[in-house]
Amino acid sequence: MASLAATFGRGAMTNGWVDIKNADVVLCMGGNPAENHPCGFKWAIEAKKTRNAKLISVDPRFTRTSAVADLYSPIRAGTDIAYLLGIIRYAIETKRFHEDYVKLHTNAPYVIADKFAFDEGIFSGFDAGKGEYDKTAWAYEGDPKSKSYVVDETLENPRCVFQLLKKHVDRYTPEMVEKICGTPKETFLKVAEVVTSTGNAQRVGTILYALGWTQHSVGVQMIRCGAMLQLLLGNVGRPGGGVNALRGHSNIQGATDMAGTFEILPGYLKTPSAPLQTLKDYLEGATPTTLNKQAWASMNYWQNYPKFMVSLLKSAYGKNATKENDFGYSWLPKVDGNYSWMYIFDDMYRGSSMRAGGKEPGPEGLVTFGMNPVGIGPNSKKMISALAKLKWLVVVENYEIETAIFWKAPKEYGGPETAKIQTEVYQLPASGFAEKDGTFTNSARWLQWKWKALDPPNGSKTDQEILARIFLAVRELYKKEGGPGAENVLNVAWNYTNPAAPDLGEVLKEINGKAITDIPDPKDKTKLIRAAGQQLENFGQLQDDGSTLCGNWLHLGVYTEAGNMAQRRSPADPTGLGMFHQWGFSWPANRRIMYNRASADKDGNPWDPTRVGIKWNGEKWVGDVPDIKPDSKPGEYGAFIMNPEGVGRLFAPALNDGPFPEHYESVEAPVDNVLHPKVTSSPVTKKFSSDKDVYGKKEDFPIVCTTYRLTEHYHYWTQHTKVLTQLQPGFFVEIPDVLAQQKGIANGSKVKVSSARGSIEGVAMVTKRLRPMKVDGKELWQIGFPLHWGFAGLPEHTGPLANFLTPSAMDPNTWTPEFKTFLVKLEKA
Amino acid sequence: MSVASLDTHGADVAVTAGRDREDIVVGGEIVRHRRSSRFIHFAVAATFIVCLLTGLPIWTPFFTWMATLFGGLSFCRWLHPWAGIFFAVSSLVMFVHWAGQMTFEPGEKSWLSPKRLMSYLEYRDDNTDVGKYNPGQKLQFWCAILAAVGLLASGVVMWFPASFPQIVRELSILLHSLTFILFVMLITWHVYLGTAAEPGTFHSMTRGTVTKAWARLHHPKWYRQVMGLEK
Amino acid sequence: MSVHSLEIRRSSASLLGGATGMRALPDVAKYVDTSTCIGCKACEVACQEWNDLAPVATHQVGTYQTLPTLDAGFWNLIRFDEREVDGGLKWLMRKDQCMHCAEPGCLEACPAPGAIVQYANGIVDVNPDNCIGCGYCETGCPFDVPRFSAKTGKMAKCTLCVDRVSVGLEPACIKACPTGCLHFGTKEDMVALGSARVAQLKANGFPQAALYDPQGVGGTGVVTVLGFGDHPEWYGLAANPHVPLGVKLWKNILRPIGLIAIFGALIGTVGHYFTYGKKEYREEA
Repeated sequence: MASLAATFGRGAMTNGWVDIKNADVVLCMGGNPAENHPCGFKWAIEAKKTRNAKLISVDPRFTRTSAVADLYSPIRAGTDIAYLLGIIRYAIETKRFHEDYVKLHTNAPYVIADKFAFDEGIFSGFDAGKGEYDKTAWAYEGDPKSKSYVVDETLENPRCVFQLLKKHVDRYTPEMVEKICGTPKETFLKVAEVVTSTGNAQRVGTILYALGWTQHSVGVQMIRCGAMLQLLLGNVGRPGGGVNALRGHSNIQGATDMAGTFEILPGYLKTPSAPLQTLKDYLEGATPTTLNKQAWASMNYWQNYPKFMVSLLKSAYGKNATKENDFGYSWLPKVDGNYSWMYIFDDMYRGSSMRAGGKEPGPEGLVTFGMNPVGIGPNSKKMISALAKLKWLVVVENYEIETAIFWKAPKEYGGPETAKIQTEVYQLPASGFAEKDGTFTNSARWLQWKWKALDPPNGSKTDQEILARIFLAVRELYKKEGGPGAENVLNVAWNYTNPAAPDLGEVLKEINGKAITDIPDPKDKTKLIRAAGQQLENFGQLQDDGSTLCGNWLHLGVYTEAGNMAQRRSPADPTGLGMFHQWGFSWPANRRIMYNRASADKDGNPWDPTRVGIKWNGEKWVGDVPDIKPDSKPGEYGAFIMNPEGVGRLFAPALNDGPFPEHYESVEAPVDNVLHPKVTSSPVTKKFSSDKDVYGKKEDFPIVCTTYRLTEHYHYWTQHTKVLTQLQPGFFVEIPDVLAQQKGIANGSKVKVSSARGSIEGVAMVTKRLRPMKVDGKELWQIGFPLHWGFAGLPEHTGPLANFLTPSAMDPNTWTPEFKTFLVKLEKA
Repeated sequence: MSVASLDTHGADVAVTAGRDREDIVVGGEIVRHRRSSRFIHFAVAATFIVCLLTGLPIWTPFFTWMATLFGGLSFCRWLHPWAGIFFAVSSLVMFVHWAGQMTFEPGEKSWLSPKRLMSYLEYRDDNTDVGKYNPGQKLQFWCAILAAVGLLASGVVMWFPASFPQIVRELSILLHSLTFILFVMLITWHVYLGTAAEPGTFHSMTRGTVTKAWARLHHPKWYRQVMGLEK
Repeated sequence: MSVHSLEIRRSSASLLGGATGMRALPDVAKYVDTSTCIGCKACEVACQEWNDLAPVATHQVGTYQTLPTLDAGFWNLIRFDEREVDGGLKWLMRKDQCMHCAEPGCLEACPAPGAIVQYANGIVDVNPDNCIGCGYCETGCPFDVPRFSAKTGKMAKCTLCVDRVSVGLEPACIKACPTGCLHFGTKEDMVALGSARVAQLKANGFPQAALYDPQGVGGTGVVTVLGFGDHPEWYGLAANPHVPLGVKLWKNILRPIGLIAIFGALIGTVGHYFTYGKKEYREEA
């Protein structure tokens, strides 16, 4: 999601599930939606049936998605950037891009300062010692006099983004794509032609992707390519367009919105870091400023950051948060380094942490809540050994998962003997999703309330009750015993009717926020925007003076005075485009298509009158909830209101691994980088250095391997469910038939797959759906296996953990492990 | 009709003699079928009748009423294959028991012409060379054995259809039907001839004995052999 | 499944047809579009759950397909087939289940009165009350559908969720389908839907697309859109299914002839007796 935020301003699916039906071309790449999102995939099918849309599947394997695609293109795992930059090159070369859109809604005309350069696989600003880039080397050219960006609307300035992009992608010819990706040139050109058929006002295409892009050491840049391609084709903000990140869990979007990772607070506010000790310092750093004084000046919506943050602090600390005490800012924990869970496990395994500067002991306890790190982490051996170093472990789950029984992992997992493990493990039985109410926030950012279907069994408790009881007990201890940081806990507002098990409706109300005191209307002081105690209606009503509280500004509007909007279920759809504004609530502001200002031209007329995102009716924008000030005239503001420059970024000076994507091989590279052999893998990718973090070489492990999920299973959960284990009963390895023949492997026989981290065995599934690949003239093989097996679950369903073989190499922006491309060897077992 | 010979204790001498021996003269009677022959015959007959009565209601709803004799069609369905197994086993024993006596002798082939059969049925046949079994009876025997084999083979397929290919299943249904139709026709005549049409015959399968007159009429050569009139 | 709210059009092994219906109901049908089926198996699970069928024992043998074929405890199976067509790969998936033929071979072959019925709306159903588990229907079925259940001693197969349909609900598999490749309605509507989809496929790279509604069995209660309509066997479908000849011969020829022959033989004996009387030996003088 980092790349979408860096490109468009917000890190989420731009459009929505239903909207896929409006597309003319659906490109499934880095995802296998038929397999992993079968319910949402219905809308791709709908587009095929109702619009004759062309469905394209680009995947290392011929998948369930490929089975219903109009066009399938094989690709070598991990080379999507080369493929996509090849399409971008093709679009520019053949002028099959939406020029009016590009000039109006992207930073193509923006001139980049001359510190930016790219040479031999390295961007300017590289610090080889740290292995990091200094991003200021990629800044826009600013005009100091007018305090504006330098812009060339003819796109001819050699330093403008468009020309830089053209130069950057020039190397990615169809021949080069074939050389790198192993895709036959003719197939690639056919895909490029269909995809770029949407590079105009009349046609629209969408991209559906998921973890096939995310889980690479260059995953964020892969997604960036998709986002750039869609900007170039003019497909962002339009019904039937967008870059649609398909989230794999029913509520993963909601979890991310509510601070699912360490670096963000709810609503994607930044977690304060140690140097920022006052609210003022923090807000100054976090609130962006804009240079833009052009016709399409940016609303720079993040300039409201202080209002979001102060309201969040008010929701956290209530009356205790006052203007005098920085609204309790000092009570918020400040991070002093990378606390993504991969790093935490690394500390745990090594038994020490050096992030705070000095050497400190590693963590001694861990609470895993609805998470199975032994299953989902790469390099399972390391995960298990790390847990064995803990004094205590609390697992909150509804099944006995691998993490809860890590101490009895089979021997081959290499953990200490059970008798030697001192970790005390507690499992708190939690309720399943059907056993509690609350909201699911889907990929399309729709918050939909669900009602409890049945009571949790055998004394299992709801998540909120478990959390609340822990909180109340800890607070009690602090009250009695005090201790460092006691005020952080004692000042927390906990005003729920039932403090031990808060009602989630009440929590949702708090997330939405309310006025604490009367809020006068600045235009007319006699009127009130909101009276004290009233629920807020939109984030425009938030204040930075402590008069409003709001648990997540992005979700504002979900629970107003009119009630719980997430519970709405009206099938009314006056747009005819599947927007369903009266169904649930879609953040932000119940908007169904983000950046929808870009669905219209400079005068506010829709590019395609049959698919209106929003249009200017002379007074205001109508259609979807406009992603712009509703009464701002066309030309007043740019379409990408969250970006300080107000436009979508073809050049994004925001990511840790470059403003443009570049093809790098995976950390375990099966071949040298043909573009720049000296820089084969990304120079800024993250690896660990413990004795368990070993990486294989292509000489020892010549086969490319990838991991994936099956539609029959849900992660590491359904291995406990008989009706589903019957559908996919045993771990298997998919092997190209030609390779199987060479190795004398029969379908259904046992094979052994080994990486530098270990070996696992499974049943061979010999298939034509994986093909031999010619990469740079050499034959290369790809195999793969799904990940739904482990040593927990029904006895007949146990099997090897797929992540036994995966490496702990990570993307430098999101620290997502590289599950999708690593090296193995294959033998008969 | 001759009267059974009784000894001084009142025991039926012919029957006791016929426990283990046949083709012997006891008083006015000749033992034609010893005890085991009669057991075997009726084992085949009884299992066949069970098969018939359980099979007919499955064969056609015309005979559904028969299923009531066994408590319903489901039980018929259960019993029929097992009865069939017993029928087949009995037939096998019968085969072993009688096969040696059922070989056609030279000259008997001419019996097999329809004309000859008709003249037999019209009681106009005066062949004095008929041994213990006339060629019609031998034919009956071989038909029964053949039918048992056919019914068994097709029956097994029909019992376990999932284990056989479609064409084999279809052929089996046809074969089972055809065999049993022909066999039932044959048995109808067999029973008729052995009871109503030829008095004294049924006796040979119950008491095991026939009268000398019966023997001389139906099996003159056998009569002569048993009486010691001919080597 | 015996449903008393539906009238019967035809009943197995009934001498006079067995129809009970005064009402005429439109034929119903499932629509299966193989060109948009993703093989997700939601229909398999829905079938198991609605019909309360216990999970079956399965083993990974190198395929995505749950079982090699239908089972007495598994009535709905997606068949997977990898196939190279014109140099390109196809992964064909088809939902296999009872086809609910208009002229059902199973019903034709069934010897147990009322064990297989065709309801007034065309659904073909096994009635376990009457089923004797003989397995003739297995031979009668041109689609290899009915299965003998060792557990019950009866035959089992898809009921087209007659219990749901009879109260106005769609079958469980249809309800579960996420992509909309399954629909349910009157046969007429489903054929119309299928024909439209076939026309669309023909215009979009599948010139040989066809609607599978084989007339050899009078049409089926499952109409299937096939991208490769000229090769139904690629989907595990018979090219020209019909009630097996053996079953027809047996039932329509051999059985009446046999009845006549057996009665003929009986009457023959009577005739013989009336004509020739007994063959009696003369008492020895």
